[in-house]
Amino acid sequence: MRSLALSLAALLVAGACASGSMENADSMAAAPQAQQRPAQPLTDANIAAIVVAANTIDIENGKLALERSGTDNIRRFAQTMITDHSGVNQAAVDLVTKLKVTPVDNATSNGLVESANATRASLRARSGADFDRAYIANEVDYHRAVLSAIDDALIPNAQNAELRALLVSVRPAIAAHLQHAESLKQQVAN
Amino acid sequence: MARSRVPRAIARGAALLLGAILLWGMGGVPSRTHVLRITGFQFVPPRIHVAVGDTLTWVNEDIVPHTATAATGAWDSGTIAAKGRATLVIRAPGRVEYQCALHPTMKGMVVAE
Repeated sequence: MRSLALSLAALLVAGACASGSMENADSMAAAPQAQQRPAQPLTDANIAAIVVAANTIDIENGKLALERSGTDNIRRFAQTMITDHSGVNQAAVDLVTKLKVTPVDNATSNGLVESANATRASLRARSGADFDRAYIANEVDYHRAVLSAIDDALIPNAQNAELRALLVSVRPAIAAHLQHAESLKQQVAN
Repeated sequence: MARSRVPRAIARGAALLLGAILLWGMGGVPSRTHVLRITGFQFVPPRIHVAVGDTLTWVNEDIVPHTATAATGAWDSGTIAAKGRATLVIRAPGRVEYQCALHPTMKGMVVAE
């Protein structure tokens, strides 16, 4: 269930390495997966692909929640995730079209999709309150990881000013989603 | 010198009184329109003082929809599309907290007098 968060954590480490901000060997040892790959700076095309992949993942998770949850609060949250992440994806697509940048899939975006597929398979096996708890716990982990990725890897590596501005404008949405998900996590735990 | 000031003061007072009477005759203080921005998942300004009869216009600068929904249920903007706007007239005095029904972390307050 935490595989997506781990993929994004690996992105943070890769991004930090690419930015030259990794300071000590201990930190590298904590992320052997990232250490084995040569650090490649994220290009704007890579970042675009990661943004689209990350948003699409949460849209699909939201659709699954609408299929499987009967809880009003969870369903409303899921619908908001579908609407908001679709809006972000549309803004990202509009921007890369304008900039004539073609998103380029990369190890991170592919890893995110694979992890999300595994997570959704796990969610599909659940129902009722068990599904609600697992879905919202994953939403908390997902948004927390995306927020860190935006701050520590995507914004620092974005070259184009408009792409960077889009990432900055998306950040409050992710932060608000995280707070909302944390509140719902408390509710479904009781 | 002092004598010439008295008539002028009286005239000024009379003019103000006349203006007030005319305004009252036309239905009171004219209502105003207040524009609030929705940007970065915040209502700006987060708190606003208005008069009953004033109009509030929320302009959504974000790339996702929002609402401005009174916690009391007194009023609701309905969905404000991304880059869209919504307008409503404040009909009653009071201090009303409101939030975005889609994003409950977004909060604001309208104080109507």
